[in-house]
Amino acid sequence: MKNTLWFLLASTLLCSLGCGKADEAVKPSGSQSPVATSATTTKGTIGVSLLTLDNPFFKVIGDSITSEGKKLGYETIVVSADKDVAKQSNQIKDFIVKKVSAIVLSPCDSKSIIPVIQEANAAGIPVFTVDIPCNEPGVKIATQVATDNYGGGKEAGHAMIEALGEAGGKVAILHFKQAESCLLRVKGFREVIDEHNKSAASKIELVTELESGGAKDMGYKAAEDSLQAHADLRGIFAINDPAALGARAALEKAGKADQVLIVGFDGQPEGKQAIKEGKIYADPIQFPDKMGVEIVAAIVKHSKGEELPPQMLIPTSLYRKADAEADPELK
Amino acid sequence: MTRTLSRLLTDYGMIFVLALLCAFFSVATYSEQSPTGEVAARQVAAEIEVKFGKTPRVLIVARDQADEALFASKLEAALSASGAKVLGVVKGEPKDARAALLKIVAESKSLDAIAGTRAAAAWLVFADLKADFPMLLDPQLVQPRTEKWPNFLKSENLVNIANQIAVIAIIAIGMTMVIITGGIDLSVGSLIALSAVLAARFIRDYAGAEQSSVFGMTLAGIAAVLICALIGAFSGGMITVFGIPPFIVTLAMMLVGSGLAYLLAAGQSIYQLPDSFVWLGRGEGLWKIPNAVLLMLILYGAAHVLMSRMRLGRHLYAVGGNREAARLSGVPVWRVLMFAYIASALLAGLGGVIMASQLKSGSATYGNMYELYVIAAVVVGGTSLSGGEGKMFGTLIGAFTIAVIQNGMNLTNVESYTQKVVLGGVILGAVLLDKIRHGQWLGGVSNGPR
Repeated sequence: MKNTLWFLLASTLLCSLGCGKADEAVKPSGSQSPVATSATTTKGTIGVSLLTLDNPFFKVIGDSITSEGKKLGYETIVVSADKDVAKQSNQIKDFIVKKVSAIVLSPCDSKSIIPVIQEANAAGIPVFTVDIPCNEPGVKIATQVATDNYGGGKEAGHAMIEALGEAGGKVAILHFKQAESCLLRVKGFREVIDEHNKSAASKIELVTELESGGAKDMGYKAAEDSLQAHADLRGIFAINDPAALGARAALEKAGKADQVLIVGFDGQPEGKQAIKEGKIYADPIQFPDKMGVEIVAAIVKHSKGEELPPQMLIPTSLYRKADAEADPELK
Repeated sequence: MTRTLSRLLTDYGMIFVLALLCAFFSVATYSEQSPTGEVAARQVAAEIEVKFGKTPRVLIVARDQADEALFASKLEAALSASGAKVLGVVKGEPKDARAALLKIVAESKSLDAIAGTRAAAAWLVFADLKADFPMLLDPQLVQPRTEKWPNFLKSENLVNIANQIAVIAIIAIGMTMVIITGGIDLSVGSLIALSAVLAARFIRDYAGAEQSSVFGMTLAGIAAVLICALIGAFSGGMITVFGIPPFIVTLAMMLVGSGLAYLLAAGQSIYQLPDSFVWLGRGEGLWKIPNAVLLMLILYGAAHVLMSRMRLGRHLYAVGGNREAARLSGVPVWRVLMFAYIASALLAGLGGVIMASQLKSGSATYGNMYELYVIAAVVVGGTSLSGGEGKMFGTLIGAFTIAVIQNGMNLTNVESYTQKVVLGGVILGAVLLDKIRHGQWLGGVSNGPR
């Protein structure tokens, strides 16, 4: 008897606790988009599942889809797949059950995500990809919005040539081979360097290509290792800002910060700050905010029945110290 | 009667919490539904007849999807029967609707009504017909009346939840056994990845890739599961023979498993699998229940019998409750422990095969952090981490609690960061509830039944 009483007491407690929490949880999204709004007052819901929200790049994409969607009368749900393709599949299944009017995703794995995209196709919901494409047979993607990574890689190559000047020298690449986008970046980079070497007096030698995981800690280790192997290293091309910043830390520790110049990629706030301080030579910067705007524009176009190109590439632009000093966003 | 009820509540108090969560999400996702199919078609046909008389000119629009296509063809039949002129039937995308409208304009006909499912009627191509297609003389949109029903309680969503949690729930069976013996198994997440990669590789390399037979795939799946079981046996051996703490052994095996998976997959996902491979993870069997869910239910039934009716089950509790006492009373402690770790690894391997089947590929990135979700399911289900106590069905309820929270939050537009906070809170709350229920609070002063 005592037992039952305890249980009742506890369950009421948890009840109030649980409900209170859940109410709170609904509020943040509720303030932007009341949960109970019917489809008649808005144009529908856009379900967005991004690779991760730990990386500010994707956070900006999500935020810009939300704000642009709101402007045009769409509700949005932005969730993070945390790089787990099974989690992403579940999120997309939930979107399908919720009957969203469009699904936007950056696939965690372009192969493993196929079945669930096919489910969305079968449910008649248009699917858009952002940043990471899915070019697999058997899936129907309305359009893919991405950075022109190949062009960006070329810009990085030009920046490296500019940074090293007449002298040339040894250059290491900090790669992230799992990502298609990074393969394209390195391809563009290599092509420009090879082209340069055909005519230049002193060549730029790409001595090593190490895995950086696209993260600071692994970028740090990879840069340290390449310094051990090539003491006379002159340049590092890192496929994103975290890897570049990790490499910078390694250079500072080894006292070679002046000898080795870094070209990064992305143009995240931290990376831009580093460019301003001269820690990174230059970045081809991406425009995640533009990607969000383009995606929403594509959704509207699709819904209006207009033709969409299979792919919409957003060019990068090279960002040097002078740009950083003129940048009002940096203090 | 009261007694049974109170026992049920003490044993499975989480059922209550789960029901509460379901009720909450039902209310929160109560929203307008767009009916499709035959009933909606009849209703729309009647409405058109009332509004536009006997011979209206109608364009029917629906998305390219089974239910909506049925709606479109039924509506076409009903309208034609009542004498209306159907100028076109669109089953596709907004693009196709625009093409159909342009065609009607080109034939210089006018249009009285556009009849469509709610999803199709919401297309922006119809948003400003007066301006975009003045030739059509302002047709009206007719769509089915909405009805209200919680998104959460739709049968497809409930199946969805069960399907989403099947892998975690199956692995949680083995984890419950391990935790009841007072141990822990951190390697299950990595074993998911390893088994998915192994199964996919066996099929690709030895069973004929896309042309693989059912027999070949079954063999590949079984081989992957057995290799995981061997790893479980290894962990069990380390724990029983050398007395290394389970936490350390399985932590090491977690790294080994994950590393092996990456090595075998060469960092890529292995996708050269036949279409029929998805049968296990996505196929449906009896009464439209997905095969993975059916398998989960069968395994839980078997595990329940094992734990409550068989000697081995009692031994698991005995070893977890007091290992020394168990040993002295003749329980073969090391054999019992070996069984628990092998079962856990074997079920993790099975989970990996199911996941590979659901995603139709094997990749070393699968199962990341799953050990924590599995442990959370077990703990939320009322199994004590100090061993000797716990129920199989409690674990199932724990797994469903986690799935319901995740699914419900996705349906109610809760963003990812908040989801983690809520999930953490609920896990803590559930364990707290369990402690209070047993009277183990205020520094462990026990005034409860035990």
